[in-house]
Amino acid sequence: MKEIVFENVSKAYGKTTVIEHLNLTIRPGERLILLGASGCGKSTTLRMIAGLEQITAGNLYMNGQRINDLASGERNVSMVFQNYALYPHMTVADNIVYGLKIQKLPKEEIGQRLQAAVDMLELNGLEGRKPRDLSGGQRQRVALARAVVKRSDVLLLDEPLSNLDAQLRVHARKELVKIHQTYRQTFVYVTHDQVEAMTVGNRIALLHEGQLQMLDTPANVYNRPANVFTARFIGSPSTNILAAHYADRALHIGRQAVRLPEFWSAFLGQKGCRDFYLGIRPEHIRLERDRTDNVFSGTVKYIEEYGNRCGIYLDIEDNELVAIGDKADAWPGKRVSFAIDAAKLHVFDKQTKENIGYPEVYNEPVYQYKSL
Amino acid sequence: MRIDREAQWHILLGGALLLSLLPIAFAIANSFKELSEAYNNVFSLIPEHPTIGNYLLVFSRLPLGQITANTFMVALAATVFKTVTSALAAYAFVYFDFRGKNVLYFILISTIFIPFTVTMIPNYLTISQLGFRNNIIGVILPQLSDATGIFLIRQAMRTIPRSLIEAARIEQAGHLKILASIVLPLIRPAVVSTGIMFFINSWNEYVWPVLILKDKVNYTLPLALQLFISSEGGTDFTIAMAVSVITMIIPLVLYLIFQRYIISTFTSSGVKG
Repeated sequence: MKEIVFENVSKAYGKTTVIEHLNLTIRPGERLILLGASGCGKSTTLRMIAGLEQITAGNLYMNGQRINDLASGERNVSMVFQNYALYPHMTVADNIVYGLKIQKLPKEEIGQRLQAAVDMLELNGLEGRKPRDLSGGQRQRVALARAVVKRSDVLLLDEPLSNLDAQLRVHARKELVKIHQTYRQTFVYVTHDQVEAMTVGNRIALLHEGQLQMLDTPANVYNRPANVFTARFIGSPSTNILAAHYADRALHIGRQAVRLPEFWSAFLGQKGCRDFYLGIRPEHIRLERDRTDNVFSGTVKYIEEYGNRCGIYLDIEDNELVAIGDKADAWPGKRVSFAIDAAKLHVFDKQTKENIGYPEVYNEPVYQYKSL
Repeated sequence: MRIDREAQWHILLGGALLLSLLPIAFAIANSFKELSEAYNNVFSLIPEHPTIGNYLLVFSRLPLGQITANTFMVALAATVFKTVTSALAAYAFVYFDFRGKNVLYFILISTIFIPFTVTMIPNYLTISQLGFRNNIIGVILPQLSDATGIFLIRQAMRTIPRSLIEAARIEQAGHLKILASIVLPLIRPAVVSTGIMFFINSWNEYVWPVLILKDKVNYTLPLALQLFISSEGGTDFTIAMAVSVITMIIPLVLYLIFQRYIISTFTSSGVKG
């Protein structure tokens, strides 16, 4: 098992910097997700591990050895490409064992590994077919089989599920976790899909414009966002971020104010925090029918239907806010009252947009690093 | 209507096919006629009194076996050498990054536009100095370099998704292995058609061999053909047709063998869903 360490790694194409001073340690045997929007540098990061991109500055270590200049083939990694990169002129079986033949493994060994991979990924009966005769899901499994037969220490996956339809994706997600539990390789998994990131990852590294925003467990990334970007990126609809003000034990948004519980006012008072960005998830805002004290009020602008619930877009003091609620309670133009769950607030520094922390009583569940 | 459309196309293509086959049939038919019959009825495709006299005559007058072998050797050497070096060079231009790559490529490609007549005399002097006059090696040497193949094969290689090459690199495949096991099989149609083009060009080469070769034993087929249709060679039309048939038969057969490789294999690749 190998530890992969990025030490101050930068990557630039000419004058465009894609990755800036990345420091990241990937633990042996974990499933690490590189998450971010397109162009954030996540694929580049993965390709640097694979040795397909040169590192402009900094050091990359694998198991303590500096591998900046080590050729791809020498790194003992395997990779699943976004477009699968199956060799169109070879059969499924030939595709899977291509690398093993280059390694000159004994014939029986190749046969055994092929059979194991074919069984695990349910490719029985397809061994003699060409990639063009396979469905998208089958091609994806062949690409996975090709990556697992190598039994390398590190498995790199570049958006492996993005070409599958939604139902297959859910199935393939489970399959990936199953593969990991069988071989216990270090998984480095690139995706732009937060659901994939949350469900597959042990830890998530969120990247934005070449910079690491947060590196933590899915639960912590969701519940304890390190900064405004993370809070907004994770979750759908995304976290509401509003300019807010603290004074006299109350939270002010524009001219409206609500009292804050003791633990918040003590914490904010102690931090000397007056103007800040407030973060609150849509599901932590509750529309109130009758209550009038200690609530904010706003006008419904727009309703988004999700089937089991609705996204209710509100206008409060010229800020847009989205809440999850019941359609029966709201319609466009209606004036509504809503309460926010004081135990689910996030407070971000106005300048740095970093999370300033949480009151101590707040730490209800302690999120541990998921055991493997 | 769809079917009518299709039928129309078939008729059109059939006509085009006939038109292109007609000269070949014409040459074959007349090569088996006696001269008098050819003059009387030049367009009939079936000789009334078929004779192989024309063929016997040319074989008795010229070492045609040797000449055909010479031509074949020249064309084969040029084709193999140029196709192999073009593939290697194209691979380097597509998959290697090195300083001055684009400039070098530009220089190479611009050599395509230098007319043969410009290099003819310097080449002649060089070959003479090397002592390869009147020798098929002297015919082969200047034909061994040509940027056309690099251009054609590079264009084909650029259509291969980069991830295929990267996938192989991760598997520790060396460049020659990647070239042989992945790149060449995928662009086989382009490589084969480039090879066929090289072969036919070399096979038909006339001016250069005529400068270099003096003895008939060393001749190539186009020179032999010229012997029978020039003013000195006489005007026996049926004999000229017989030599024409001999000249074109080998490229024609080779083309029939290799044409199935030209049909594109690169339809739906293994890439993307």
